[in-house]
Parts: sequence; C-alpha cells; structure tokens
Amino acid sequence: MAGSYQRSERVASGLAPALAVSGVALEPVTVESLTAGGSAILLFVNEECPTSALAMRRLGPLCQGWAKAGVSCTAVFEDPLEVALRVARRCGWTGHVVSQPPPYQTSDAYGLVSVPSAFLIDRGDRIIASVTGWDQAAIELLIRRAATLTGTSLATPEPALPLRKPGCSSKAALDPAVAAAMAARPDEDEMEEMFERGWTDGLPVVPPTEERVAKMLGACLGHTSLGPVPPAMGEATLERLAACAVLAGCRPAYFPVVVAAATAALDSRFNVHGQAVTTQPAGQLIVVNGPVRHEIGMNSGMGALGPGNRANLTIGRALRLMIELTGGGMPGALDRSTLGHMGKIGFCIAEDEEVSPWTPLHVERGYAPDQSVVTLIGTDAPQSISDHRSRTPEDLAYILAWAAASAWSTNWWPLTEPSVFIICPEHAEMFRAHGWTKQRLREYMFDAVHKPAKSLSRGETTPYVHLSDPDTEVYKWASPAEIILIVAGGEAGRYSAVLGPCTGMGSQIVSAEVDPR
Amino acid sequence: MTAYVSPFDDRVRPEQPLAQRPAELRGLRVTLLDIRKNRGAEFLDRIESSLQSAGANTTRETKEIFSKPAALDLIDHITNISDAVVEALAD
Repeated sequence: MAGSYQRSERVASGLAPALAVSGVALEPVTVESLTAGGSAILLFVNEECPTSALAMRRLGPLCQGWAKAGVSCTAVFEDPLEVALRVARRCGWTGHVVSQPPPYQTSDAYGLVSVPSAFLIDRGDRIIASVTGWDQAAIELLIRRAATLTGTSLATPEPALPLRKPGCSSKAALDPAVAAAMAARPDEDEMEEMFERGWTDGLPVVPPTEERVAKMLGACLGHTSLGPVPPAMGEATLERLAACAVLAGCRPAYFPVVVAAATAALDSRFNVHGQAVTTQPAGQLIVVNGPVRHEIGMNSGMGALGPGNRANLTIGRALRLMIELTGGGMPGALDRSTLGHMGKIGFCIAEDEEVSPWTPLHVERGYAPDQSVVTLIGTDAPQSISDHRSRTPEDLAYILAWAAASAWSTNWWPLTEPSVFIICPEHAEMFRAHGWTKQRLREYMFDAVHKPAKSLSRGETTPYVHLSDPDTEVYKWASPAEIILIVAGGEAGRYSAVLGPCTGMGSQIVSAEVDPR
Repeated sequence: MTAYVSPFDDRVRPEQPLAQRPAELRGLRVTLLDIRKNRGAEFLDRIESSLQSAGANTTRETKEIFSKPAALDLIDHITNISDAVVEALAD
C-alpha cells in the first residue's frame, strides 16, 4: 500500500471527500450511493495513462462479481464521459464509470498526484485503504480488506507481470500549460476514431467537433428537445441532431431542413419506431418542397435519386444517423431489417416543381406554394420503370401503374399504404401535353391495375383476397389516394420509378414546415 | 484532445429487476397479450389451453398494432388484472 500526497483535510482525517462527477445514470453519483451495498472501490484513471489501462484490464472483469457481494467498483475518469465510456469498454471494465471535468476537483480533493489510484471506502465514508500506481500485492490486500468489510470472499486478479508499475501524473496535479500541451495529439487519425466510437453508418463521417456543432446549430438552442428517438428512446436534443448533421456532412444551411425532417419523423403518426426495427427494408423518404430547395442547392433534376448532390445526400443521411445513433436503430442491433436498402443510408429528394405540370406535393397536403416543407414517407427501394414508346397518356399511365403490380409482394393486393411514383420530366410532359391533371392520372392508374381474386390466390396473399369471391376483381391499391405522384429527374430520358410501401406499420405520411432562420 | 459532441444519449435508465416468477400456475391470473402479429392468436390459443389445464385463470388482451408500443392505458389495465403476462411477439 502506498501513501498519497494529502491535500484535502477530509482525506487527511481518513474520510472520503464528496464526488463531483457525472455518470450515465440519471441519478447523481455520491459516496453514499456507491457504498450502499457495503463498501466501494474508487479507481481514479485517465485515458492517456498506460498504467490506468493496465489496472482497468486487471480489475475490470472482477467488478461485477464484487458488486454482487456488496462492493461497488467505480472508474473515476479525468476525461469526458464519452471518452471514459469508450476506454472502459475497450478495457473490459464491468464496474461503474464516472467522469470529472477540468480542473478535476474530485481528484484534487482525494489528494491525487498520480493515476491509477485506488481507494476503498466503507459505509461510514471512511477511507480504509488506498493504492497508488499498479501494485499487485497492495491491490490484493485492498480487496481482502473489502472482503472483510462485507464478510464475503472476493476474487483477486491473477498475478501477472508487471507486478508493480508506476502511474502517470493526475491531471489535477498538472500545470495547466503542460496539460494543454499533452492534450494536443496531432498524430491521431480522427476519422478512424469516429469508427472506434461507433459514430458512423459504416461510411466515413465528419468529426462533430464542438466548433462544427456550434456552427450547425447557429441560433438554435442545443438543449431544445424534439423528443425521444425510437427504438432506444435516446433524446433528440438539437445539439445531438446537429452532431448527426455534422457527421453526415451537412452544411449549416441544411440544418433547418434536417430539423424539419426529424420533427416529422418523430411524429407518432409516422411510426418511425416500427420502421426502425422491422425486418422489412423500409427506409424513410424525405421529399423537400418549396423555396428552400433552391436556397440550399438541392438537385431535383438529373440523377435526383442518385449520387452527386451534397444537400440531397447529407440531409437524408443526417436523419438516418439520428435514428441509428441517437435512437439506437443500427442494423444488426435494434434494426432487424432482413436486407435493408441503400436508401437507409439516406433518402432525400427535392420535387421539380418548376417542371411539374401539377400541384406540388406540399400544396396537395395543405401548405402554400411559397412555404418550404419536408414530407416523410416510409418506402421500399426504387424500382425503375422504362417507357420510351408509349404514344398516349393512357398507355403510359398503364405501363407506370402495372410496374407496381408486384410492389410489396406479387399477390399482395390491395395495398393500403402509399406507393410513391417519381415521374420523370419526359413522362410528365406527355401528361401535360394532353391536359391530364394529377388526379386524373392517379385515378387512371388505380383503375388500370386489377385482377380476379382467383388469379391472386397462389402463395402469400391478403385476407381480402381470401375472403373475396374468386371472380371478384381486386385492385392493386385500396384507393387512388395510395398513389403518390412526384416529378423529378433529368430532362432527357424516359425512366420513372416506383417506391413500394412500408406496410403493416400504421405509418402515415407526415409533413413539417422548414423553419426559416 | 479534441472535444466532440456525441450523437448518443449516453444516459441509461436504471435496470428494472425481473418480477418474481410465480411458484405455480393454479389460481394465477394470466393475461395473454395478442400483439396482432400474423398467427400470433393461434399460438396464444395453444398456450391458453395449456394454462387453463394447469388451473390458471386466463384473459385475452390485444394491442392496437404490432408495430407500435402498447398504449400505457393497456399496460396499466393488464398490470391491474394480472399476476403474469404471456406476449406472443412475432410470427
């Protein structure tokens, strides 16, 4: 057992000073709460110290067993909490993890000069034993004393070399200038660090430094909450959402659109909860309408569903990162999608209102043309519809509609959720030239796709088909309202697309206005 | 060291201990919760028969839709009328 430099009068008198730390639990962490089971071991550590890592690796796996015997074990980091959690995870630490901010008031109160330093505290707040640095024999003695306090036996770490190893300076004992110099570590690859932290969807991300997040937030208040994000119900503060927008690669000018998309996605009518965890491939399509499309340079033209435009790609990605990181809906974890689709990386398009012959989506949904609005729709991946040879709007409408006949599943008729058709400009021009309104096209498409129930009965089909007379005509959609029409795409080429529905979720289309800053 | 803003909500809620498991089924009030997943009701029918054979008193309740969390009112109701719950999660 080694002594430590005594700065605190309370430590000098053998009593444990109060803790000024924060952890992941909602309740404050106090000496009393940690010793409630009988006694507590505090292990002061920091990220930069190899001896701290050694101590955590040797003691970490034993903490859970000690806790069952009434001895809590807590790693007290001189690092930010998210760093502490990462280091603890990497070291196999199974005890509590708490963090203290500069100037490391708790380390100072315990008289630390170096880490790791271990303290055994009993229920009367008395410091029973302490160890500085790594000292196998002293640690075993400290653990035996903890066992005596609780009247049980406690496992001790297997002796392994080195049996003794000096610690590193506690940050509380460092000159501030020295601490700042040590904090600068230009050799680290922060891009790789993002992967190590798990702050990614699998692609490289932009590190969300405090400066970048502050720029993203602009005048927004970071603590403002949009509510819990399913499925894990992490709280979507604007600061966390801004961190997701930075990670996604958004420019600050996109953030109002990201906020609107998050607001719509978290509306209970959208049921992102079901979409986030389902085995379906469902992604969340964001359709942007109104002046903001031009203000932030969105692409509604050539390759509108593909690569090439930063705003389109990063706004959709920011929403997905919120669901995956803040909400815990990461594929393979709480997201149980069998296949998923590429739109689950990010799925954001802008409608080409200027080329469209029809009322834009947001105006159909009750907004004014000069309002900027996002509309969220749960959808499958796009399926291209090639039609270069139809010469009448009736033929083209028939081809477009029948392309969706297998949407969701071959014989799953009728669909009660929306199918989204992205109509390319050349196809839209056909309907404009013949004076077809959006509603006329929608009704024609609805009427075009039907089959007798008996031809839909093979394999999986709907209860509706099962209950129908075999000769009854069954339509692909429950009503024309399930056909959503949006115009986008390059001026040349006759390729439209249909996005099948997310079914069975009770998910509704939800819109939200973009709040101009 | 560069300071970052975490996208995670690192707070964790206290772990809820599992309710004590009943020692026997006889006289137990068991609610069978149908979440409306395909064929879940058939599965619950079989479970219900077995429970009743073992002397349990069963009740059936149904969620609004499988893809949304159960309404708090429904959870409260089940809590008030049950000693144990069986939930058919998926097909």
